[in-house]
Amino acid sequence: MNSGERLTFSKSLMLLPMLIILAMFFISVFTLFSSAFVDRGGFSLKYFQQIIDRPDYHIVFYRTVLSSITVAILAVLFSYPIALLLWRANKWRNLLLIVVLVPWLVSLVVRTYGWIVLLGPKGFINAFLGWLGVIDEPVKLMFNDTGIIIGLTHVLVPFAVISILSSLLSIEENLEEASRVLGASGFQTFRNIVLPLSLPGVFTALMVLYLASVGAIVTPLLLGGITEKFVGSQIYQEVMATYNMSKAAAWSICLLSLSFVSLVIIKMIERRALRGQE
Amino acid sequence: MRTMSPLSRTLGIVFLLALPLPIFIVFGASFNGSAYIQFPPESYSLRWYIEAFTDPRWARAVGTSLWIAAVTSVVVTTISFMAAYFTLRYAPRINTMLELAIFSPLFFPHACMGVAAVALMAKLGIVGTPGAIILAHVIVTVPFSYRPVHVALRSVDPDLIRAAEVMGASELRALKDIILPICRSGILTSLLFTGIISFDEVTVTMFLIGPEITTLPVQIFTFIQDDASPVLAAISTISVIITFLAIVLLERVAGLTFFVQRSGS
Amino acid sequence: MTTTLNPSVSDVQNVTGSIDIASVSKSYGDTEVLSNVNLSIPAGNFLTLLGPSGCGKTTLLRLIAGFIEPTKGKIAIDGRDMNGVPTQKRPIGMVFQNLALFPHFSVAENVAYGLKLRKTPAAEMQQRVDRFIDLVGLNGMGDRRIAQLSGGQKQRVALARSLVLEPSILLLDEPLSALDMQLRKQLQIALKDIQQKLKTTFVFVTHDQEEATMISDTVVVMSNGHVQQVGAPQDIYASPETLFVSKFIGELNEIPARVTDTGPQLSIDTAAGQFTLPASAARGFAPRAGDAAVICLRPEQLKVLPAGANVTGQTTLNATVISRLVIGPLTRVSLRVGETDMIAVMMTDADTAPLPSGSACKVSFNPDHARLFAPLSDDMASAFGEHA
Repeated sequence: MNSGERLTFSKSLMLLPMLIILAMFFISVFTLFSSAFVDRGGFSLKYFQQIIDRPDYHIVFYRTVLSSITVAILAVLFSYPIALLLWRANKWRNLLLIVVLVPWLVSLVVRTYGWIVLLGPKGFINAFLGWLGVIDEPVKLMFNDTGIIIGLTHVLVPFAVISILSSLLSIEENLEEASRVLGASGFQTFRNIVLPLSLPGVFTALMVLYLASVGAIVTPLLLGGITEKFVGSQIYQEVMATYNMSKAAAWSICLLSLSFVSLVIIKMIERRALRGQE
Repeated sequence: MRTMSPLSRTLGIVFLLALPLPIFIVFGASFNGSAYIQFPPESYSLRWYIEAFTDPRWARAVGTSLWIAAVTSVVVTTISFMAAYFTLRYAPRINTMLELAIFSPLFFPHACMGVAAVALMAKLGIVGTPGAIILAHVIVTVPFSYRPVHVALRSVDPDLIRAAEVMGASELRALKDIILPICRSGILTSLLFTGIISFDEVTVTMFLIGPEITTLPVQIFTFIQDDASPVLAAISTISVIITFLAIVLLERVAGLTFFVQRSGS
Repeated sequence: MTTTLNPSVSDVQNVTGSIDIASVSKSYGDTEVLSNVNLSIPAGNFLTLLGPSGCGKTTLLRLIAGFIEPTKGKIAIDGRDMNGVPTQKRPIGMVFQNLALFPHFSVAENVAYGLKLRKTPAAEMQQRVDRFIDLVGLNGMGDRRIAQLSGGQKQRVALARSLVLEPSILLLDEPLSALDMQLRKQLQIALKDIQQKLKTTFVFVTHDQEEATMISDTVVVMSNGHVQQVGAPQDIYASPETLFVSKFIGELNEIPARVTDTGPQLSIDTAAGQFTLPASAARGFAPRAGDAAVICLRPEQLKVLPAGANVTGQTTLNATVISRLVIGPLTRVSLRVGETDMIAVMMTDADTAPLPSGSACKVSFNPDHARLFAPLSDDMASAFGEHA
């Protein structure tokens, strides 16, 4: 629509509610920063110092980042064949899409609970293996990194499917046909045409998945237990158990900075991978 | 032309079927007669459903989550619609800036959002009230509401509203008679999508509950930590059914293409 | 609320619908898209705003509609100042370039929408909707969906929808530009008919000069935000006041020239030879010796004669025939005169000398017909890159 259309003050009030909501978000971020850097009324780096001084805290960060990288890559690997399947399934796409959307939109807690029922010491898998007589003692599938990675990967695959599928659907149909006409095999066509053109979706997925994973609280808390901590579980504990808002804020800011650095790195890799595609 | 190698097709089908697996396990467990998971189950019963329906705490949590989802989706869709309409018609130049601001919460890890939200709500003195939860849900769902509404509005011929105005309609009347019916599917997508997100939100919400109020997912979370009674399986199944119905409704009234459309950028 | 704004035409026929545009300018930031436009449109006139894209014609229409406000100046309808009056309260109808039909309404619902807003009683509404659907020639199609209609039918719905409200002014923004030639011709005639029946003031925007000269009472030629000339189509064709207007309306031969003397008569030097023109030939500028200029002649003002012919009272130049095309009663001759290609059009008759391609000939014209203009500025010339 053309700019400069008749505009009155009362009409510009339409934008106001949105501005208030955005302001609330930015004020909340500002409050987060101010509570992390303030101690007894003055500027202080005390809470950051505490994090830097504790090697066990460093491990929490390492674990979070390494697990999240693993989760993001695993989820993309699992979701790619699903996305391809949905892409090819013209007629059935809507039905299959519901099979992807339901697990995506069902509450995180419920999906994680499903994995507890599956992986727990008295869970489905252990009960099944016990019934088969393969094991005497329950296998420890939960309360360790494996549990967290399994749970988070499963939780995040649906989003990756949707992201990659969007990219695949934007590939022009005749590109593939052109490639086949020029004599490329099915695999060559996939390797040279489909895969490169779906990379934007893959990178969006990697980025969002990584962010969702480093910021996760529920899944690490429930599947990782008390010892195998994620940054998210530590933050939750600081707020809900020790009521130390400032420390939680400092943790959040470290996490935030970490994710921004990671985002920049992923973006750089993406630019390199997509060079010449613009 | 549209073929797939048998290997990738098989992988696709297996992985796809694995997605709802935990949900089916929960579903199966909810009919288990004993107090812990057994394989094969020794008995089947509806006792956990009876417990879920008779315990007032669950009924209350389901009710709270439903009305908070309803209020959130209506509020956030209204806000997004007004902002998108205003920007497209009167201030197209601020659109880039506005979208940047609207989508920026997406780049915040959820844990940080939770702490930021509780910091803000504590300052406003409303932690533990429905207001805090709704405000947080609105902030979290704004990007998911703005996009479908903006896409729908953008595809409407701007002359339609001018035509209605030339014929004597006030702007409000033209919006009601012309623009709303045409943008119906975008608006319904926003309403249902944000409703579902709000109904199932847990990571931010769990910082904001209080003795007076809790939502269904947060209460499930609290119960899992305390004791893993199979009543949770029944309650989770109910929550899945509500979400599932909302998605099917969305498919009926607006279609699912929105989810797999590439955004304009 | 707005019923009183559109008094039924039958009571007060032909007295409402005049538009006065006084010193109107419109700028976006530093860009002035309309500058100092003055225009008086009498009630009942079929007026066309004609010009290449970007000339400001659509902006002027949108100003009259009230979608935008002038930066300077004022617009009055029937003597009433429209500044600050919102679109809804102006006695206008509008047909949009892309028609803007409501896709979720049927034909009849589209036509009835404005009446519904005015809370017209159901019986009267039904009767008026039917009458206007008939008027535009869509009898019996009231129940069709918009998507089921052809391009021409959609045009007619858009017209009926605006006219049913009996506005004193109808604004039309290039409504025919998307149609093919034949349909366009039909609808031009239909528009003209309807306008004469209703005596509504029509303000019609187009970039097609043929369309403009065919249907309008008055043509306003615009370029670069300025009104170049206002007049009846035949007057503008016969005596254009600027080179831009001459080029834009009708076919034109242009001979680049230099003025060598301004004596009592203008002495002209061209690549095809030297001759004199009466001082009255110069339009819109006062030539001085040494000025560059352009001589303009319409194709029908040229006569082609055998090389040996003798003419008096006419200016004669040597030329070469390039080709000759007989189109029924008319003959079109392409010529090379000096360094310029020219076209001459004359009646095909026995007197026309047989002029084979490549033969030398003479081209003559009455010096009183020639017009002398200053050359186009660069930005004006660029307008013809698209619409020459």
